[in-house]
Amino acid sequence: MNAEDEKVPDKAEVGGFSELVKNLLKLKDTSELMVDLSYSALLYDSEDIAHEIAYLEDFADALEKEVVLTTLNEVVRSEDAGTGYIMIRLAQAMEMIADAANSMADVVLRDIEKNPVIGLSLRDSRTTITSVVVGPSSPLRNKSLGEVRLASESGMWVIAVRRGKTYIYGPDEDTVIDAGDTLIARGPREGVPVLFRLCGSELKDDDRDED
Amino acid sequence: MAARRDKDHTRKRPKAYEGVEYEPRSVRELLTEMKDVSELIVDLAYSALVFDSKEMADEVRQLEIRMDKLNYQIRLTAMMASRSLQDAESLTGILQVAEAAQNISDAAGDIVDLISEEIDTRPFLPFVLRDADEKFSAVRIASDSRLVGRTVQEASTKTSASVNIIAVRRRGGGWIFDPEPSVKLRGNDIAVLRGTEDGHGMFQRAARSAAPASHQRGQGAERQ
Repeated sequence: MNAEDEKVPDKAEVGGFSELVKNLLKLKDTSELMVDLSYSALLYDSEDIAHEIAYLEDFADALEKEVVLTTLNEVVRSEDAGTGYIMIRLAQAMEMIADAANSMADVVLRDIEKNPVIGLSLRDSRTTITSVVVGPSSPLRNKSLGEVRLASESGMWVIAVRRGKTYIYGPDEDTVIDAGDTLIARGPREGVPVLFRLCGSELKDDDRDED
Repeated sequence: MAARRDKDHTRKRPKAYEGVEYEPRSVRELLTEMKDVSELIVDLAYSALVFDSKEMADEVRQLEIRMDKLNYQIRLTAMMASRSLQDAESLTGILQVAEAAQNISDAAGDIVDLISEEIDTRPFLPFVLRDADEKFSAVRIASDSRLVGRTVQEASTKTSASVNIIAVRRRGGGWIFDPEPSVKLRGNDIAVLRGTEDGHGMFQRAARSAAPASHQRGQGAERQ
């Protein structure tokens, strides 16, 4: 691998498969959001988040079906079975990841006493999940996530926003943040204090790095 | 994640229980490592596609084997810890999470298998992931860049915390995957990054030859 000679084919080479790529990426993003959410659901023992994952799982299934069907049609049209094969295999792998996330969410929804070890293990992980309330003096107030470049500044990706009783899952750069919102974010430990500062919120002891 | 660089790797994967000594590690430790592997392995699998890198694909396979072993260990440990129906019930939740982590690693293995397919359309793979939200890039660090001698942690927090260095390739020295935060960067290293477009840009600027202009001020300005 060489940093200088990254070869990326243009759309023409991909032909009729380029539209498909959009859905494949949507599937990839969905499956990754689901994994992030599932670890959050386990960490916070949140049935709300777990239910959302179950809903996203249906969405991922539908996307996979869409990708496979469109790919098959495209293969018939273009006789490019090789590209079709790769598209289908990728979609299947992404759907497998979505399934795994759903299976984790299922642990939260099951009616058994939660084992505290799960939360403890997740807290020790290299990638942390944290939740923070946006304070009244936060520079994030009434700004979109893209405007404040939250991910670029703190390295923390917001995976969900809780506003009162409702959640916004997988917010994008146009999502506007309000004071009182709770952000659930994942990222490196070093990003946590930066995120808290941006939210104008005090870092609680149990959010601090233990080591 | 120290013991994962086993030498012997072939396409035929060894069974998880072959050659596994029972290690007295806690369920908590095992599950933490499984979560870490489940996240790293997916990043590495997608970047293996983006860069068409056989070395990264090999690392994914190593991690897949590591994950199998961890899953086997956690089952053993959980069974030994279980003394009552109540114990067993609460441990099944843990095992289900562990199993899911392993399924994620299997999916990552399936993804990198595409790299070894003898299909001439394979070059389109990097294109597929080009427009994804979180991007991968490979950046060469100039020998007089201000990042030289910095640790991985410093390099990501000083440039912007928004890039995650998932691998470093040393000139003539192979790869360091998932580098420890204390690993020091050298000139001519190639860092494989995952993060936002902004983050990639900031890191790229820092990785260039050290310019006389004060970079600190430049960064401050971007904050607004």
